[in-house]
Amino acid sequence: GLSPGPGCHLYRFNVTIRSDQRGTCKGTHVVYACVGYCESSAFPSRYSVLVASNFTHNITSASQCCTISKDAKIKVRLDCPRGRHHDDMEILTAQACRCDMCRKSRY
Amino acid sequence: ASAVNLRRFIGCAVREFTFLARKPGCRGLHITTDACWGRCETWEKPVLDPPYIESYQRVCTYNETRLVTVRLPNCSANVDPMYTYPVALRCDCGVCLTSTTECISSV
Repeated sequence: GLSPGPGCHLYRFNVTIRSDQRGTCKGTHVVYACVGYCESSAFPSRYSVLVASNFTHNITSASQCCTISKDAKIKVRLDCPRGRHHDDMEILTAQACRCDMCRKSRY
Repeated sequence: ASAVNLRRFIGCAVREFTFLARKPGCRGLHITTDACWGRCETWEKPVLDPPYIESYQRVCTYNETRLVTVRLPNCSANVDPMYTYPVALRCDCGVCLTSTTECISSV
């Protein structure tokens, strides 16, 4: 794994943005992700869960996942060959991380 | 000493777990069995395209199970006293399968 230990931590990496597939204009910026190891467990489901699931969910998984709890937009300047211009591009960066709900889809 | 180890533990392992097996019409029975516990790698990172955050979520859950059936005490005459629950033979970091598992978020 990428992370040093338990918990959910900021992880720094470079992102390179290209204006097109040939990379006519491009810019690189440092952004942060959240990477870590949060607690999870799985155990036999309670009877009420068994009944509610028609006896298909005999396991209950109670989990936390490493998530971005605070983010910010940053502008990335793209450099072009002489004379050309490209608008700045925006990308998110993590500012804080937390072991929190495992939500598969965001936004 | 084992509590200290668990604080730094990374991975997904079989761990002893005690629960109260109960259903309406019977007395409950405390059962100690093998379940799963651990810390799996999860992350969220910014990406350029929608949904702008890419996530990777794996949780510690049952990989291989054996079903055990016990008889609950003091059941009413019209209630089936048998109670079946899964025992973990192997645990692994994996996706929470909503077909077989009640996937919940622990606080």
